[in-house]
Amino acid sequence: MKKSGISRRRFIEYTGAAGMGIGLSSVLPQTSLAKTGIKVASGAANPLGLASNTQAEGVFFSGGFGHAYIEYAAEIFGEVHPGSSMSVEGIQRVGERLRPRIIAGNPPDVIDNSGAGNLDTGALVGEGELMDLGPLMSAPALDTPGKTFGETLFPGSQNSGLFDGVQRYVNIAFTVFGVWHSKSLFDEKGWNYPTTWDGMLSLCDTIKTSGIAPWTYQGKYPQYMLFGLLEPIVSKIGGPQIWKDVDNLVPSAWEHPAMLQALNMMKALHDNGYIMEGTSGLTHTESQAEWLQNKAAFIPCGTWLENEMRSITPGGFNMVIKPVPSDDASRLSWIDASSGEPFMVFSNGKNPVAGMEFLRCLLSKESAKWFAQNVGSIMPVVGGAEGVDLSSAMTSALAAVDNAGPNILDRPSFPGWYSDIYSEVKDSMGALLTGRASAEEFIERVQGASDEVREDEDIVKFKRT
Amino acid sequence: MRRNKYGIILPFLAPAIILYSLFVIYPYSQAMYVAFTKWKGLRKSPRFVGLDNFEKMLGDDKFWNALSNNLIYLFVLPIVTLGFALFMAFMISQKVRFNNFYRVTYFFPQVMSVVAIGILWSFVYHPTIGIFSSLLKAVGIKNPPVWLGDPDTALWSIVAVTVWQSAGFFMVIFMAGMLSIPKSLYEAAALDGAGRGSTFFRITFPLLWENTRSSLVFITVIAMDMFGITFTMTQGGPDRSTDVLATLLYEHAFLHSRFGYATSIAMVYFIIVIVLTLLIFRVTRRETVEF
Repeated sequence: MKKSGISRRRFIEYTGAAGMGIGLSSVLPQTSLAKTGIKVASGAANPLGLASNTQAEGVFFSGGFGHAYIEYAAEIFGEVHPGSSMSVEGIQRVGERLRPRIIAGNPPDVIDNSGAGNLDTGALVGEGELMDLGPLMSAPALDTPGKTFGETLFPGSQNSGLFDGVQRYVNIAFTVFGVWHSKSLFDEKGWNYPTTWDGMLSLCDTIKTSGIAPWTYQGKYPQYMLFGLLEPIVSKIGGPQIWKDVDNLVPSAWEHPAMLQALNMMKALHDNGYIMEGTSGLTHTESQAEWLQNKAAFIPCGTWLENEMRSITPGGFNMVIKPVPSDDASRLSWIDASSGEPFMVFSNGKNPVAGMEFLRCLLSKESAKWFAQNVGSIMPVVGGAEGVDLSSAMTSALAAVDNAGPNILDRPSFPGWYSDIYSEVKDSMGALLTGRASAEEFIERVQGASDEVREDEDIVKFKRT
Repeated sequence: MRRNKYGIILPFLAPAIILYSLFVIYPYSQAMYVAFTKWKGLRKSPRFVGLDNFEKMLGDDKFWNALSNNLIYLFVLPIVTLGFALFMAFMISQKVRFNNFYRVTYFFPQVMSVVAIGILWSFVYHPTIGIFSSLLKAVGIKNPPVWLGDPDTALWSIVAVTVWQSAGFFMVIFMAGMLSIPKSLYEAAALDGAGRGSTFFRITFPLLWENTRSSLVFITVIAMDMFGITFTMTQGGPDRSTDVLATLLYEHAFLHSRFGYATSIAMVYFIIVIVLTLLIFRVTRRETVEF
């Protein structure tokens, strides 16, 4: 089994969060530039052969991370290539804004395809719209001497951008997924985070008696329970092959016994009345707001949660992320972590080289540090958090990843590949968690959607191992 | 003289006809072509597939689910909305106190943006801080419905919002109709000893027939659309219980990259609205009363 993860104890080294960093070969000569202070490694100034005086265009999703960090990367780009520039436009609803330009054959050079209303990645790849980023991956890194760009990124962090072995996009934000609670609340009540699912259910009972709802989730968007609970529980019970089979559209992949067991474990939250009343009528931010007021004890989410709710988080709330427990206490530490926020270069843009060169600047160590410092999240760049003070939430996330050691769980790719299956999972998940569908019905519905996709010749299929 | 008439009319009509053709007829006809193709909405051109999309629609449960939700709106909204509107118009035209205040208040939702209304009503329906749930809890109902989170109540919650939003508009249409009814008819009825009820059903309502017909067409179009309010409040959820043709075709086009299929749904939707409109005009045709 090939883990996408990072070996135990190496993680802290990778991020440099403990201030250690990797002993970089500073013997190689470097040029330090004045404005951003970036130290360009020797021979790494222009490996992709960007033409001088290139005026390139970038259009980027501007969501929880904002887009100031992209402007900073554009500054690096301009400084490394005097005379050339990358324009930065921050937008929402990327698909609606950019589709007319793609149809007209006039796309921007580089985009961030994230957020609600983004472009369907499977279709973009299937129709050959996206550049093969192979040359970028093997080009020397901008400010890490002696390494290629690909080697400076966390192992496995770019797997989701691989389509039939070709790198079609790069992820720029490292995200840990799990179950969140308020450490202050738990300390005050004397509750301890459980090590097994049975322990979770009995803790839920205690929490419920104290007058707090044990769980809530992002109601109108039940898919949070897919990556928050179903993905890791299934992997912990049944191993990594199940999600691969699901992604590869293997017949009956969803009918695996581990899937049924995991779904029934989740359904127990509803059947025992552990899910906060009214959850299904709330949006993601509304449910997260309820959780911040201690109306519910647990909520599933990724590490963007802290940023997203920063303005209304009560002082001393102390949010921490934990891996979801399963049937086996020894697997508690196994956790979902992956990278997201996909940046893409169009194959028929005016300056695809500029697009790739920009990504080399964006995922440089210098830019990653700026991101950690100013956005409070981390990029999947080795040494990208060196000497940066991280929040309690981010610290707990990094500790969780460190505890997991090599057991960083592989995440399924079907949500990006086959939007039809993802939609069905979302609908069925809502039905399961409100008691309107049994685990068996969930499986039947989703397997049906999967079968339909497999038989639909118009949907481009992908494989992974 | 005859020839001259067209020579004058044509230049006046031309700009409107050209603009209308360019921005309405041309894109519509293009869309009709897309309905017979498969297209991912990207650079590659649509591929002609004949009636495949329509055939697929026949066996698509999600299509029938969305259409049946539209049909529920189609049966409920005209009765409730027009009923309310007629009642309010009649009451206000009775020269009640604060007449103008009511008129403005009832019409007000009509000038608000759909998105604002959707967000506002999402707060009203909010399960913990919403006014409905709070009131129900205050009178001792422990677990009030999760209005937008429960497939049994979500659709009806949206019906209520739509009635609230559109009744004022139809009220104004009916009031305009009532004002044009000659006073002499009412005076004659009063002399004959007719009460309020029989005055309304024998004089006011029959003479509002033309207004009712056009209102029926308007409300039909609203019931077949419902995109804005659905998209802002539930996005068709929970579990597709509020999905309508407009949100389904949006999902197919922009989420699943099936522009051909989405457009074929749009075509069906277009045909349904046209047929219903013609049907309403045909069925409700009566001799107009001149006064």
